[in-house]
Amino acid sequence: MLIGKNATWAYIVARTKVMKRKLIPKDEFRKLLNMDFNEIVRYLEETEYKKEIDELAYKYSGPRLLDYALYLNLSRTYNKIVRVSFGLAKELLTLYLRRWDIWNIINILRGKVANAPLEEIEETIVAAGEKDIEFYKNLMMKEPEEIVKAFEGTPYNEPLSKYGTVSISEIEDELYKIYYNEITKLKPAELSLKLFVDFVKMEVDIKNIKTILRLKVEDVPVEEIMDKIIPNGYELSVDEARKLAAMSWDELTKSLEGYWFWKGVEIEKEFSTIEVEFDKAWIEAIARKASNYPLSILPVLQYMVLKKVEIDNLRILGWGKWQNIPNEEIERQLVIV
Amino acid sequence: MAEVQPTRMELIKLRRRIAMATRGHSLLKMKRDGLIMEFREILEEAKEVIGSMIEKYEKAQQKLALAIAVDGAMAVKAISLACCRVPPTFTIKRKSIMGVVVPVIKREKVRKRVIDRDYGVLSTTARIDEAVAAYEELIDAILEVAEIETTLRRLIEEIDRTKRRVNALEFRVIPNMEETARFITFKLEEMDRETIIKLKHLKAKMARREAEEARKAEAKAAA
Repeated sequence: MLIGKNATWAYIVARTKVMKRKLIPKDEFRKLLNMDFNEIVRYLEETEYKKEIDELAYKYSGPRLLDYALYLNLSRTYNKIVRVSFGLAKELLTLYLRRWDIWNIINILRGKVANAPLEEIEETIVAAGEKDIEFYKNLMMKEPEEIVKAFEGTPYNEPLSKYGTVSISEIEDELYKIYYNEITKLKPAELSLKLFVDFVKMEVDIKNIKTILRLKVEDVPVEEIMDKIIPNGYELSVDEARKLAAMSWDELTKSLEGYWFWKGVEIEKEFSTIEVEFDKAWIEAIARKASNYPLSILPVLQYMVLKKVEIDNLRILGWGKWQNIPNEEIERQLVIV
Repeated sequence: MAEVQPTRMELIKLRRRIAMATRGHSLLKMKRDGLIMEFREILEEAKEVIGSMIEKYEKAQQKLALAIAVDGAMAVKAISLACCRVPPTFTIKRKSIMGVVVPVIKREKVRKRVIDRDYGVLSTTARIDEAVAAYEELIDAILEVAEIETTLRRLIEEIDRTKRRVNALEFRVIPNMEETARFITFKLEEMDRETIIKLKHLKAKMARREAEEARKAEAKAAA
């Protein structure tokens, strides 16, 4: 019987290991790639997603059905992980999943900006964060000013209070910065917390390098790039990010050699494919770390990332097939590791 | 025809008009052929431009589908509405092709930098950038097609107009004038013939009168 610090992790890791086995294997994606849209939905009806597809099939059809069913499954999976976890694991996972609260706030605000109907806004809500669906249902009924008031006393209040005076894009970026700052500024006193913080810092590195390259392609000035940089990366500090942002494209790509995220990344014509390469590098890196620390939060986080990637891949496949996008193009966009 | 005065002056005027109409007819024929050649050239260009617009449209649709799949339908909807706030600007100038005034659309910079677009960089992926860029390129292509399509339409209208003029000159105006000229010529000739006969009659009458007078004078002398 496991006792002590490892007991917290053993249970949740065992639960997620079982859940991980239910993920769609890599080879199956190759098969899915050769199916048409209806065949993909039929295939998914024989997997974990059956319940959500059946539940929403009366209301939606086509790629929208797939879209909402996948997101519903994702939120249920994340909620289940939080539910079965306890102690520090629960705390960290709740903290990690706050990103979905930001996703929801942003989508509600975007919906308000776009004057979208409430049902449409509700469909984008992924209740996988701290707040439940009822909170968001109430929130979306309110006017933007009242939405801002609902977050008074929270860290999100500051950027949200700028609503109406600055562009919504600035608020979106500020919210994500606050989210990452909250985690990366933690001073880890023990290994499990350090692993968690490092995991998020690695994600910050990936986000930052994607931002630098994405804005570099567009010749955006250094200071404007730096406004979008999230501090406290794993290997990529703010100063290093500034140095990279000031370089020319060729110098920049040469300077990236040696960073943990630059292994096997090839500069392609389209930036989205470079993003996919970064995602692959990140997933491989966390897989390596998770196998080094099997009784830690890392296998749980790894599963959560893999689940999100699976959902994204299925959405790309669904929309791609629906829009008759060639298989090669769909394959380029899939993150299959 | 009835109103035509069959005079020599009228015939001269009519012949001048026929010569001018014939010259105009050949000039219009040349203009029509020139316009058709120009039209064919622009048609080939239009085919390419329209083909490229269709390609860009398909690419934009694909990029949009990927953006919706990765960044979510709401993000794409909000971004599309944010981007719509500033419509693309362009100025229309004019140029002349064989006298046909056609528009030249001078496109202002449709493409925006990622940083200037109304969506967060941290909350979206490059798929959104690519979808927005693909649609910006599509707008450019649509303006190009609009320009070339208007040019083609104006050329077709002008070709049609010129063709009608050529046909009217060839099959109606010139034949009518030639017929009138023939009529005047015939009338003038007839008048000439009448005059000659009248003169002959007069001459015979005068000869008869002279002969009578001579016979009377001879008779008087004999008495």
